[in-house]
Amino acid sequence: MNQWEVYVNDVKELAEDAEIELTIRTLNAGIHKYTYKRVRAQLSSDLKKHADQLQVRLGRGQLSNSRFSIKVLGEVQRMPAKYL
Amino acid sequence: MAAPRSNREFIEACVKSGDAVRIKQEVDWENEAGAIVRRACELAAPAPFMEKIKDYPGFSYFGAPLSTYRRMAISMGMDPASSLPEIGREYVKRTNGEVVPPVLVDRKDAPCKENILKGADVDLCKLPVPLVHDGDGGRYVGTWHAVVTKHPVRGDVNWGMYRQMMWDSRTMSGAVFPFSDLGKALNDYYLPRGETCPFATAIGLSPLAAMAACAPSPIPEPELVGMLAGEPARLVKCETNDLEVPADAEIILEGEIFPDYKVEEGPFGEYTGYRTSPRDFRVTFRVNCITYRNNATMTISNMGVPQDEGQLLRSFSLGLELEKLLKSQGIPVTGVYMHPRSTHHMMIVGVKPTYSGVAQQIGQLAFGSKLGPWFHMVMVVDDQTDIYNWDEVYHAFCTRCHPENGIHIYRNAPGTPLYPFATPHERKYSIGSKVVFDCLWPTDWDRINDVPTLVSFKNVYPKDVQEKVTSNWTAYGYPPVK
Ligand SMILES: Cc1cc2nc3c(=O)[nH]c(=O)nc-3n(C[C@H](O)[C@H](O)[C@H](O)COP(=O)(O)O)c2cc1C
Repeated sequence: MNQWEVYVNDVKELAEDAEIELTIRTLNAGIHKYTYKRVRAQLSSDLKKHADQLQVRLGRGQLSNSRFSIKVLGEVQRMPAKYL
Repeated sequence: MAAPRSNREFIEACVKSGDAVRIKQEVDWENEAGAIVRRACELAAPAPFMEKIKDYPGFSYFGAPLSTYRRMAISMGMDPASSLPEIGREYVKRTNGEVVPPVLVDRKDAPCKENILKGADVDLCKLPVPLVHDGDGGRYVGTWHAVVTKHPVRGDVNWGMYRQMMWDSRTMSGAVFPFSDLGKALNDYYLPRGETCPFATAIGLSPLAAMAACAPSPIPEPELVGMLAGEPARLVKCETNDLEVPADAEIILEGEIFPDYKVEEGPFGEYTGYRTSPRDFRVTFRVNCITYRNNATMTISNMGVPQDEGQLLRSFSLGLELEKLLKSQGIPVTGVYMHPRSTHHMMIVGVKPTYSGVAQQIGQLAFGSKLGPWFHMVMVVDDQTDIYNWDEVYHAFCTRCHPENGIHIYRNAPGTPLYPFATPHERKYSIGSKVVFDCLWPTDWDRINDVPTLVSFKNVYPKDVQEKVTSNWTAYGYPPVK
């Protein structure tokens, strides 16, 4: 099970049971904790639905009470090809 | 006492004078180190030198490097007990002196080359990048550092302290404001051409190099360091671009800025004492090479409520640079001071009020200068008011500033996205409003009949009575006045 975190201005940005793009950071222990990835993912407020867990922070870093389970479907490369 | 040439010499000097403590027990890079630095700032305590960091054997942290005037004096090679006006006079003397150009040293004489990571070995997570405040948008690599760039046309070198967040193992995102030297170069040159901008970030600098990186001086920083230190700064060539970096720095990150590709940055605890600027897409730095000293020390500034080096040092240098500017324009100023607790938002200017409109002239020059975006209040008092004494300044403000005639507001001026009072729209576009508080008696008032007389011990009693009372003070039964 992986732990992830996302920043949003409003929890409504986190649509459930649809494929959405998110910038999430890992909360797994170790030296890479807090590094980001851009991903395609599916969320559910049913914490048992997916194996990975997602916690949410709001605009100024406040921890939200909303929690989700998350399935990361794949990484999204936003960086222009010329820089890869 | 010579100015410390490196972060290491500075730590040693601070430990010796009681201005730093060695922390031997293990400290967590996640929140704990940040919390120690924050508390040290809020208590004006000695700087923490944390010698053992969880997950990062061999690395250490030095926090709150310049958050007291004592440490600022040490960094200038002065007696730690020097007063603020003494430190200020010394800064002005040195920065008005002969330019001291840097020297280029060989790689073998540059401690920052002791370890070199390139290609697949580059991973920012190999460095003890701290999570400075709980809830920050990321771990911040650059909180007390210099981002080195060179103007692509003019060739002049810029060292700027622009915060840098670790986004992933090779990418950082940073807040480079559009009115900063780097912001202007990116927007004027690199963005329209779609070219990448080479950069190097130097961390763990000598305190004077860090001071230069955040000083709003027109003198190029490598020369400014030399002038402040009284000897040339030692620079060395980068491994992967032709920038030059301080040879004695603890850690160097080399890479390119991608002007047309942005990733999220923030939120972050800021010098105003708040998290104000939203998470946003900011400037992207791609790291291609990391070099560092053996047993490298990462420096941490933890910004928040007063007082930290962001407030202390920026207040100091913004005030002194404004004083130089006003004097260069022939304004009869007697001094300029920014109280660090204003989080460098209020300039207090003392002036001989010899002609009308001088307060507005000062405000317009201050707000219209390169320094202007960083503060929004200018309070002008006469030369009889001690600008360093807030009680006197506050009294002058509350009693002499006419609510209609003494307050002058300027709209749509440049501001920073960090102003806590600004509207979300103003923050997004760095728009500011400014105000001048004119606390001078109007020059068209009759000096005898219109201007009130200040009723104070010093002002209303004859000299001989004052002397008698002061010399008899303890005889009257009072404890001595310090
Ligand atoms: C601790 C600290 C952090 C700073 N962070 C930033 C920042 O993130 N972005 C920025 O534009 N200026 C920042 N500044 C202010 C700049 O360092 C300062 O304006 C400096 O003079 C660079 O200016 P220039 O590019 O205009 O020469 C910071 C200053 C300090 C002391």
